[in-house]
Amino acid sequence: MLEDKLNRRVFLGSSAMVGGAALFGLPLFAKDANAQAAKLTVRSDQDISILDPGYMIGGTEIEMQNAVLPVLLNLHVGEDGVYGWEPSVYVEKFEERDPTHYDFTLKPGFMWTNGYGEFTAEDVKYSYERIKTTDWSGNFEPLDHVEVTGKYSGTLVLSQPYAPFTLTGLTSGPGAILCKAAMQKVGEKFTTEFPATCGPYVFQWTPKQKLSLRPNPEWTGPKPAFAEVDGLLITEPSAAELAFEAGEVAATIITAATYARYKENPPENSALRVAGALQYMWLGMNTEHPKLSDIRVRKAIQHAVDAEQIIQGAYSGTTEKSNGIICPGLIGHRKATKYSYDLEKAKMMLAEAGVSGLELELKTLNEQERVLSAQIIQSQLAQVGITVKVIPLDSGPFWEMGDEQKGDPKNLQMYLMRFGTNPDPQEATQWFTSDQVGVWNWERWKNDEYDALYKQGIAESDPEKREAIYLRMQEIMEDTGAYVWINHEPEVFVHRKDIKIDVLPSGEMRLRAFTKA
Amino acid sequence: MSAARSENPAGAALAADTFRAEGWYKLRRLLGSWQGLTGMVLVTLFLVSAIFAPLLAPYDPNTLDIPARLSGPTWQHIAGTDQLGRDTFSRVLYGGRVALYVATIGITVSMIFGLLFGMLAGYGPPWLDNILLLLFDVIRSFPTIIIGLAAVALLGPSLNLILAIVIVTTIPAYARLVRTSTMALRNTEFVIAERSLGVTLGGILWRHILPNVIGPMFILAAMDVPVVVTVEAGLSFLGLGVLPPTASWGSILNEGYLLIRQTPWPIVAGGIPLVLTTLGFTFLGEALRDIFDPRLGKGR
Repeated sequence: MLEDKLNRRVFLGSSAMVGGAALFGLPLFAKDANAQAAKLTVRSDQDISILDPGYMIGGTEIEMQNAVLPVLLNLHVGEDGVYGWEPSVYVEKFEERDPTHYDFTLKPGFMWTNGYGEFTAEDVKYSYERIKTTDWSGNFEPLDHVEVTGKYSGTLVLSQPYAPFTLTGLTSGPGAILCKAAMQKVGEKFTTEFPATCGPYVFQWTPKQKLSLRPNPEWTGPKPAFAEVDGLLITEPSAAELAFEAGEVAATIITAATYARYKENPPENSALRVAGALQYMWLGMNTEHPKLSDIRVRKAIQHAVDAEQIIQGAYSGTTEKSNGIICPGLIGHRKATKYSYDLEKAKMMLAEAGVSGLELELKTLNEQERVLSAQIIQSQLAQVGITVKVIPLDSGPFWEMGDEQKGDPKNLQMYLMRFGTNPDPQEATQWFTSDQVGVWNWERWKNDEYDALYKQGIAESDPEKREAIYLRMQEIMEDTGAYVWINHEPEVFVHRKDIKIDVLPSGEMRLRAFTKA
Repeated sequence: MSAARSENPAGAALAADTFRAEGWYKLRRLLGSWQGLTGMVLVTLFLVSAIFAPLLAPYDPNTLDIPARLSGPTWQHIAGTDQLGRDTFSRVLYGGRVALYVATIGITVSMIFGLLFGMLAGYGPPWLDNILLLLFDVIRSFPTIIIGLAAVALLGPSLNLILAIVIVTTIPAYARLVRTSTMALRNTEFVIAERSLGVTLGGILWRHILPNVIGPMFILAAMDVPVVVTVEAGLSFLGLGVLPPTASWGSILNEGYLLIRQTPWPIVAGGIPLVLTTLGFTFLGEALRDIFDPRLGKGR
């Protein structure tokens, strides 16, 4: 979806800028035009912490994996917005033999870096069977095993028919393939250094400054349009906007408020691109925390928070209210919640629970929209007598706080959380099963029916039955009282008109597919 | 024996009169200079607006009014509203309270400890002096903001943490000043005389050293207020100071910075008091130094 607009104010503004630049001898645009031929500079919004697809956080980590690691399939978004897949450059042939068998043949001649030899079907088998044992196993749940039938060929065998597997498993972040020999050498896990890569680029990291992609001399596949790519680490959204407008970066993701402003008044030589609205945000509550263990308290909070106000106040009205975790346009998207904004009911429930003078902590990422949302929630909960302390955190401590090993999940109280997903409902539901408690299920509830439905959802191929399953799963989540649904935030990018960008619906840039327009 | 030490009631009254007269003279000199007057006016404005913020503010600083968000200055909201529709003017007034709180407590506590440690270092045995001096220099070698960032990363943002950092990093500056003055005094005749008369250590420090070293401390303190206020504003600007929704000039500036493309008013509203307060205390400090530091006067 491309949106661009030229109006009188933009014209005057840009003329003034050009005039000013010429006057002060600042060859802003000329310099960029020269630099772009060899090198592309974009903004990366978050530093990496773990590049291993099995243990990553996501976001920029997926962007870097995508640039240096092989995959079998790429996500393809049709003209009509329908999601599909296409074989990647590494693949000669990929076809569905029957609903549980997918045959693949790799192209020969792709070499791993660091002298680890050729990319073969053994690497595919190793990577996909390993991912099933990691934190990101959910996407590969339907896969039973991989049969290697030749040096370059093999078959993915599913335990049961599951049509969306190609999309949810193979085109997703954990679908990245690692080098078996290199992984065995480093002990089956890695953090910030790829043991071996096989892509057009090699990855270089300058912590806190930039994520660099440099040409891979051993690469035999099609050359990317840009020899080098730099992802400047700019976490602050306003700084990123300024960097874009000053010509420092050629593309960046933007916030809802900026999207609203750029739609009215786009910067010079720019285009907007909505990648998708595959994000779901909620106010989460830890069901195991003594202050929140009474379900009546949690339900009271559900009734006391008005998501509409958050959408207006923090997101300039640009996002859609959510009623669950499954995004609009997908099977199982919920149209309404069972609870409603009702202060009297909330007060009544708190009184029933015998709670008064409750003080709670609300942790959030230290980002403008989130901190604003948190303050709106703070003010709303004050109306029912709950005092909320808002604690903004940087991304490192934030993403680790619910993790059994790194954080202190038992003492977590409330938090504003947003996950991204892919075009199948299974991906969003995988994080709330019993075995995710202490990993990504920070609400820490367990429900046998939910776990069973999760398995049924994977096995079911009838869309109507799947719809019923996923609706019921979200209802179970909501009934725990641990969730107040907030919104589905669109991932919007602004980029210069002279480049063509490729972004996943979940908001990651596919840098190797960026081209000159 | 001097008049001030006399037991004669008439003499004491005379001394008090002289002291009062001198006080009036100095105050007149302070208000007579343009720097002193401007400083006094700005500082008074700051103090009054902060102390009486609850009476002066037209709205509660934390009440949301989302439909009225991001309005420019109007008769209802003279400095406009922020993203959540809160009245910026009220928030600026309340922000002054945070600045005043940090400055008052921070500077007072640092002064008390600075005096104590400084006098001990200057009057005590050389080994104590060496240990304290080493400690002061170690603390002073860290840049305040960097300690602040590190402490906040470890312990989470809070106003009291900022206060603690301000106190710890300011004490050595005062202590060093006091130490030097004390050392200059410890071998003067009146101190030696007191010692020979058997006055206790506490008595000497409290009655004879303290009155002589405290003057320059006040001048330094007045000059330090803006530093402390900006440290607080700086950390709050970075989102590491006061917790939302508390208004501080730094957090107002931060919100304003994020909105600078939409509206300039929060930046203006948060920036002006910061500039004026800084100027006010600096002018006041300069003027006080001109009056109370006789050596400086003669040099001109």
